[in-house]
Amino acid sequence: MTSKLNTVGIIGLAAITSLAATPALAAGTTAGTTITNTATVDYQVGGVAQGQQSASNNFTVDRKINLLVEEVGTVTTNVVPGQTNAVTTFQLTNSSNETLDFALVASQIAGGTAAHGGTDTFDVTNIRIYRDNIATGTIGSWDVGDTLLTGYVDELVVDTAIRLFVVADVPASLANNAVAGVTLRATAREGGTVGAQGAAITQTTGANTAGKDTVFADIAGVTGDAARDGSHSDNDDYTVQTATLTVAKSSRVISDPFNNTTNPKLIPGAVVEYCIAVANSGGVAATSVVINDAVPGQLTFVPGSILLGGTYTGTVPSGTCDFNGTAGGSYTAPNVTGTIATIAVGAAQTLVFRATVN
Amino acid sequence: MRKALFLLFAALLPGQALAANHVALANDVFVERVTTDAQGKQRILLEEPKVVVPGDRLVFVLNYRNAGAQPADKFVITNPLPAAVSFADAGDTRPLVSIDGGRGWGQLDQLTVALSDGTRRAAQPADVTHIRWAFSKPIPAGGSGKLMFRGVVK
Repeated sequence: MTSKLNTVGIIGLAAITSLAATPALAAGTTAGTTITNTATVDYQVGGVAQGQQSASNNFTVDRKINLLVEEVGTVTTNVVPGQTNAVTTFQLTNSSNETLDFALVASQIAGGTAAHGGTDTFDVTNIRIYRDNIATGTIGSWDVGDTLLTGYVDELVVDTAIRLFVVADVPASLANNAVAGVTLRATAREGGTVGAQGAAITQTTGANTAGKDTVFADIAGVTGDAARDGSHSDNDDYTVQTATLTVAKSSRVISDPFNNTTNPKLIPGAVVEYCIAVANSGGVAATSVVINDAVPGQLTFVPGSILLGGTYTGTVPSGTCDFNGTAGGSYTAPNVTGTIATIAVGAAQTLVFRATVN
Repeated sequence: MRKALFLLFAALLPGQALAANHVALANDVFVERVTTDAQGKQRILLEEPKVVVPGDRLVFVLNYRNAGAQPADKFVITNPLPAAVSFADAGDTRPLVSIDGGRGWGQLDQLTVALSDGTRRAAQPADVTHIRWAFSKPIPAGGSGKLMFRGVVK
């Protein structure tokens, strides 16, 4: 009974060993490995066991250079004019069967269609490449703990993917929906020396050598990056999302000292009501919108007449002001000032005040 | 190492002394490449293993010949798979295979592998560690043949 149990145990162990012996590496056998296959023959002649015969062959596994640069996510990076450190995210995977360095170049596309359909119209500045620090900080997102790279990734081991951030500054004074396309291209370089970028790699041409040959196996990247050239690339882009404000000013006569409010005329002593309407046709809300208007010298501001956040019928400037709102704002001669906290996308708000004709 | 060599010789010598009978075995490996010609027809080429990278399909060919004067009986060819090669198939040669390093043998479709949850699954080609062809009939003097199997570079 005991021996039976033992046998079962051994079979179980053996089965587990065979499972563990199958590595699931995408990149595969390490370059330079010699594969030797040996077959043996056992036989008998006239009932007598004869000496075992064997035959072998061997060959060396060559070096397959394969890498992948992929944009992380499928949407553009929204930026505002003047923003610093705008981040696009990429992933670099070493699918070669050897540890390698990878030279990195982040470039800008010049016109044409960017990664997410927009037309490239501007260039970002101060482009840098960071490698995500997976030990500290926010893993997967750019933060101060990430490593600024000096043109290459050092010693990226087989079957490893790392996250790279292309970080750039956005110029000021850009229109809503302006697009800047960027390309990250990685090129395999010789590995083996920590802290220094390895030499360029060339594909072995002509006859096989007995040693380790090099075969490029990468797929084509962005336009101009062919398959099997030892490099791969992908595009991403920045899209400016800003508020686009339109301002219109209108006025009406409220009353005069003689006609009062019935068909008032613009004579001295008449009360005039002004409306400054601000509409946002951009891509994001405008906040802290300060409206400032100098009251002409021929008019006298009516204290306490400022109304903020009123409505506007139609489209600024072709529609009409509704001359409403909530009391607010301030007057410091000769300026009427009011701050509107937020003007949402597609919305309009007004500042209304009154003055009398001198 | 030297000791091991002597032991090997010692094992070989008696066999050769008993009969001047021997079997020749040749072991070749080729890389199987599929090319598509201008007409769209696929052609399979067997090339010398010049440039070999992970994922390449290999064809191992074993040629045997009984070079002796008498029939060779209980003729068994055993081929452990190299660690960096994953077994694919053996054509129609129907070998016995082992999935546990040569302890147990059987047809691949009859073997199972224990899973960590206690159940067993059918063995897959990738589980194979050894291949063996055991001939039921003697190889006559001068008789020869060819066996093959395919593998993939891990």
